[in-house]
Amino acid sequence: MSDHDCDIPDCDEALANLYEYLDSEMEDAEASQIREHLDDCSGCHSRFDFETRLKIVVRERLSEEVPPEFIARLRSALETENSASG
Amino acid sequence: MADQADFERDAMEYARQLYSAALRMTRNPADAEDLVQETYLKAYRAYHTFEAGTNLKAWLYRILTNTYINKYRKESRRPAEVDLGDVEDLYLYRRIGSEESAEVSRTTEDRVLDGLVESDIKAAVESLPENFRLPVLLADLEGFSYKEIADILDIPIGTVMSRLHRGRKAMQKVLWEYAKTRGLLPEGAEMP
Repeated sequence: MSDHDCDIPDCDEALANLYEYLDSEMEDAEASQIREHLDDCSGCHSRFDFETRLKIVVRERLSEEVPPEFIARLRSALETENSASG
Repeated sequence: MADQADFERDAMEYARQLYSAALRMTRNPADAEDLVQETYLKAYRAYHTFEAGTNLKAWLYRILTNTYINKYRKESRRPAEVDLGDVEDLYLYRRIGSEESAEVSRTTEDRVLDGLVESDIKAAVESLPENFRLPVLLADLEGFSYKEIADILDIPIGTVMSRLHRGRKAMQKVLWEYAKTRGLLPEGAEMP
């Protein structure tokens, strides 16, 4: 592949596709163009890297422990429903 | 067609995830428990209509979000919601100073990402207006695809994308405020 391949996105195009890329919503060919750009562009690499890390932090810190007594109540509600309908 | 007798075995494994999402929707544990319980009872009653082998998790989330939208939304108290005007791309990244100096800023990035605690992230999500909060929760907490979110919320994929992207940027604006409050930023890293 040539260094001047006109399909290779510039920084603005890469940034416009940031979330689709991080969310794995791009076609393989498009995603690999973004990857090529990131390999060549340390600025975008750093931007994408930060957004990736932020996404992981958000996901990890949003998760909740379920109160075990709630799970027990839920099972019991389903059993009541089951015996009522059965 | 799914067999109702299998419902508990098949569906209970998602209870924790549904509860996490429900808590961010209703913003309080008692309502979250009620919402999840109502979701499971509705899902149980309708389980014979679920097509076995298709996406059970997405089906449960569709019931969850519909139940929430129809019932709890009307009753919920609305705390202050973030102004979702135009928030620029890379809001947090730019303010941390990473565009100017990659080396200095990596330390600041680490400090901000490590220093934002669970309650900051949760409050930031809860501050989003609902149209934006639901896509963000479904994508960032649950990892649903745009297509799955479109099906769950019954909105076009383009709308999912614009709300998700705007919602995330607005969240960054709130997180920036928490980062400042917590003193996670170096001297002089105020507004550019």
